[in-house]
Amino acid sequence: MDVAGAPQSSQSPLAIDRFADGRLTCLKLAGTIDESFDGKRLAATVDAATLVLDVGEIRKISSFGIREWVDFIGAIAARGVAIYLVECAPKVVDQLNMVANFAGPGRVYSFYLPYHCDYCDRDDRVLWQVDRHHDSIRAGKPPQRACGHCGELQYFNEDPVTYLSYLAAQDRFELPDDVAAFVATRLAYGVGDAGRKLKVDKLVDGRITFLRLHGDLDGGFPRDKLAEGLEGTIAVDVATVGAIDPAGAAAWRGLVQQITPVIDALYLIAVGPGFLDKLTRPDDLGPKGAVLSLTLPYACAACRTTTGQLLDVDEHHGLFVVAATPNRRCPTCQGPLVCVAPEPALAHIAGLPRPNLPPPLRAAIAGLVERRPAPKRAAEVAGPAMPVAVRGGFGVAFVAALAAVALAAVVFVGYRMLGDRSVTLPPGRGRLVEASAPTRPAWITSDRALAAACTTTDADVTCVGVSGPEVSEDEALEVAGDAALDALAAAIADRIPDERWRSAVASQWTAARQAKLEAADREPPSLAARREVRDLRHAVVRALRASAPALPAVPTASHWERYQAQAGLQVTGFAAYTVDRATIDKLAAAYATPATALGVEAVSAFPLLVWRHPALTGGAVVLDVGDGPLRGRGLIAGAVVSEIGGRDIVDGPGLTAQLTAEHARLTQSGGTLTVEVQGGDGAPQLFEVPVAQAKPDREVKPGGRGPGGGGPPGGPGTGNVNVWDRYGGGGPPRDDPRQ
Amino acid sequence: MRAVVLERNRLVGRRIARHVAAIGGTATVIEDPAQLAGAVGDATLVCADVFDGDLVATVVTARPGLRAVLWTAEPLRRGLRHLAECPAIGHVLGRKDFDSPPRPWELGLVLRRLRSPAAPPPSLTAYLDWGHAGFELAVTSPGERDAAVARVQAFVGELHVPRRLAEIAGELTHELLMNALYDAPVDDAGRPRHAHDRKAAIALPPGDAATLRVGSDGTRLAVQVRDRFGGLRRAHVVEGLARGLAGGELDRSHGGAGLGLTVCHQSSLALFFDLAAGRQTLVTATLDLDLNLRELKTHARSLHVWEA
Repeated sequence: MDVAGAPQSSQSPLAIDRFADGRLTCLKLAGTIDESFDGKRLAATVDAATLVLDVGEIRKISSFGIREWVDFIGAIAARGVAIYLVECAPKVVDQLNMVANFAGPGRVYSFYLPYHCDYCDRDDRVLWQVDRHHDSIRAGKPPQRACGHCGELQYFNEDPVTYLSYLAAQDRFELPDDVAAFVATRLAYGVGDAGRKLKVDKLVDGRITFLRLHGDLDGGFPRDKLAEGLEGTIAVDVATVGAIDPAGAAAWRGLVQQITPVIDALYLIAVGPGFLDKLTRPDDLGPKGAVLSLTLPYACAACRTTTGQLLDVDEHHGLFVVAATPNRRCPTCQGPLVCVAPEPALAHIAGLPRPNLPPPLRAAIAGLVERRPAPKRAAEVAGPAMPVAVRGGFGVAFVAALAAVALAAVVFVGYRMLGDRSVTLPPGRGRLVEASAPTRPAWITSDRALAAACTTTDADVTCVGVSGPEVSEDEALEVAGDAALDALAAAIADRIPDERWRSAVASQWTAARQAKLEAADREPPSLAARREVRDLRHAVVRALRASAPALPAVPTASHWERYQAQAGLQVTGFAAYTVDRATIDKLAAAYATPATALGVEAVSAFPLLVWRHPALTGGAVVLDVGDGPLRGRGLIAGAVVSEIGGRDIVDGPGLTAQLTAEHARLTQSGGTLTVEVQGGDGAPQLFEVPVAQAKPDREVKPGGRGPGGGGPPGGPGTGNVNVWDRYGGGGPPRDDPRQ
Repeated sequence: MRAVVLERNRLVGRRIARHVAAIGGTATVIEDPAQLAGAVGDATLVCADVFDGDLVATVVTARPGLRAVLWTAEPLRRGLRHLAECPAIGHVLGRKDFDSPPRPWELGLVLRRLRSPAAPPPSLTAYLDWGHAGFELAVTSPGERDAAVARVQAFVGELHVPRRLAEIAGELTHELLMNALYDAPVDDAGRPRHAHDRKAAIALPPGDAATLRVGSDGTRLAVQVRDRFGGLRRAHVVEGLARGLAGGELDRSHGGAGLGLTVCHQSSLALFFDLAAGRQTLVTATLDLDLNLRELKTHARSLHVWEA
């Protein structure tokens, strides 16, 4: 069972994310479905044979929203598209129960049950699937469960009979193989156990054997049966392999070891994130194994669509070895697609061997792939349903799965990329073949990758940065410049002695920055850690330049050196920035000077906060929350405020100005003051502070139109009214304290 | 006022009779439906469970001027039939179970109003205990509607109730305001001004604004919305609810989904409709704050329709 905290916000607009894989499309809808939702228009954008609707984050559906939704489903269904609803939120289940044809011909595969703990007043949700929990749905008795926070019993916070009525009437079903594979392998949804049982299709064409694995790789993997008779070239399509448990991984490795002596080569096709993570390291592939193609997630910003792009390793190996990916265009809008695979995944891919497949063999394998049997529906379910922990996180899971891919493999990749230690001058870099100057300048005192250091004199501060091994001079000098400016930012921070500032602001990045720099400096080098440091420094520099225009636009001095390394030509860059002390002191004073409004004292976000809040592009940091409307509302010293009332906060003065303006506006109309604060390692947090109207609301006349009539005026002191209740159709007043 | 109370549970019957006496009336309590016709005499009111609704409808139909109040511990759907078929029946009160009387405050409110049928509808204060807090807003546009919904949610959120309850109150407010902003306004010829386009960014003149009143006494929440047009009729209410509760079929004939009343019904414990054709529609919804979500979903709901 999956347990997730209930969504927090209730007023968010509808956000739609799209994930596609061939003729399968998934729409993830989050927020409110109301009159602003245009069902027919959305339906027109769906070009698929199967549509998966993730409605787990739907929080509100208005009556007119129901109409739009029914139009949406109707338009989709009219085109013969198969529709599956997954992770239905309680609000959606309510509509399924109440509204005829809410799902149209669509089928609900999974849904949330709302639970509540009275003890800690906490809402939780538990995910059920119609195949796995069919009997429980029919029985209509969701079990009690322990609260994850306090351990007391949580209860099912709905009327079970009503809540499960629609789902109980729905037949038990499993997702078709291709849909199950899509949601399980690409999107990390939970799917039924039986639906993911491994199946193998086999085609033999001369010396080539083509296998297609479909389902989960577990201890039941038929290693010996599969190995029987294998010889020649083996091509295995693993596109729809889902979960891989340790026993399954061990069985696969055993198969590879078993067949390696008797086969010519083993090629893996359409390797997905899970398989890439667990079973494509050198030891896993063996001496005859190679990955022919893999799938990486690409996102289109315009269409808000994420698709898995199949990439040929041979074709793109030159990019892969430098942890880069090819450009792709969105098939819908022709706009650029951006690879959203995380850095660790790219680092892992950089270590894949080049298949060097002869063209005739490539063509033969391609022909077999085309001939592969069409996906079949899963076999009938047998055996009892098992509660297995599966998370239905979406989209992110696609990326997260890839994020997990390369963590364990990154040391190996780093070694391949940087580990040629057989040559000298300087050690570890390879042979020096070219440089921007015949001799290395004297201001360079270290060539350790990504190092940075500052020297201070009475007149100025000079910071020198070093790049890692880069592919071009420009890139090397940029990375070195970023390192120098990051060090310069630290030098500015050191000039701020204010204890409150150090406690609320500087303390936030110190540990994170140090840990990441140390990780990048370890031996053997970690490509992922280095890339993270480079990216964070680049973001720091962006923030620094935005807030400190007085800094030099270009380095005071620079230098580069090109080396012939085992991985190819690599360039190391050096950059120095010298800034006079007066400028440094002025900047330090500007960053540390607080502005105050409504009791909130805040300073501009310091650029080095990026080390703790990578998404930060501006904002302000709270130093203190004194008397005022925000006191006691959860806002504390150190909070990094990025938005107030939906408007971006650029700096400390911007915060106080926007706070004052927004509060004044709300005082006129009444409403909620929203303050968005950057979460340390997660999503931003939203604080909501109700603001009452300054002038008294129109008074609710006590019994003014009522039969009782009359009564003393109310005395609103807080924006609300406080009135006596008098009514009674001309009879004696009730509950009137004057009587 | 003299009332005949048909209630099989003697204790419940007595408590209801006590409420009748408390407003200056007299009550005859009977337990056997066969006694009803003989007990009516000069009574002006008959009270009974929906279970005896057919009998009550027969009696009140035969006696012009005689009115009836029903109560039920079951879903409203069954009681709706009596409201649809018998104009003298305008009230179904939800009760917790067959051994409990309807909520005292609600029963008292209905009895007082039945005692003085010519009196204008009570304001929001009648639905809450004295000393309550609340606010009133004039709403003329979708933007003000959304702000009002947000304010209601914030107001309920401050009451230390489960967050879901605040969301329900927001949904309820949204639906009531949608009706008042888009369904209600008509031009001089009586033609709907905005009903055909619920997505339109309308701005009603101040005189046509919907009035939202919200209040809570700590036990109940009351949300009241008034429009000056008075286009809603008893038949709309009963038929809309009946369709929604019977299977949730959409009705697009009025420009919307035809499910607004059903959503309001699902989001409240009691709905009060004060309908004055061409003058005003006043809808008041109440929620009991002490119920958890499950109790709220399972508790029998009330429906009251008053026509001026």
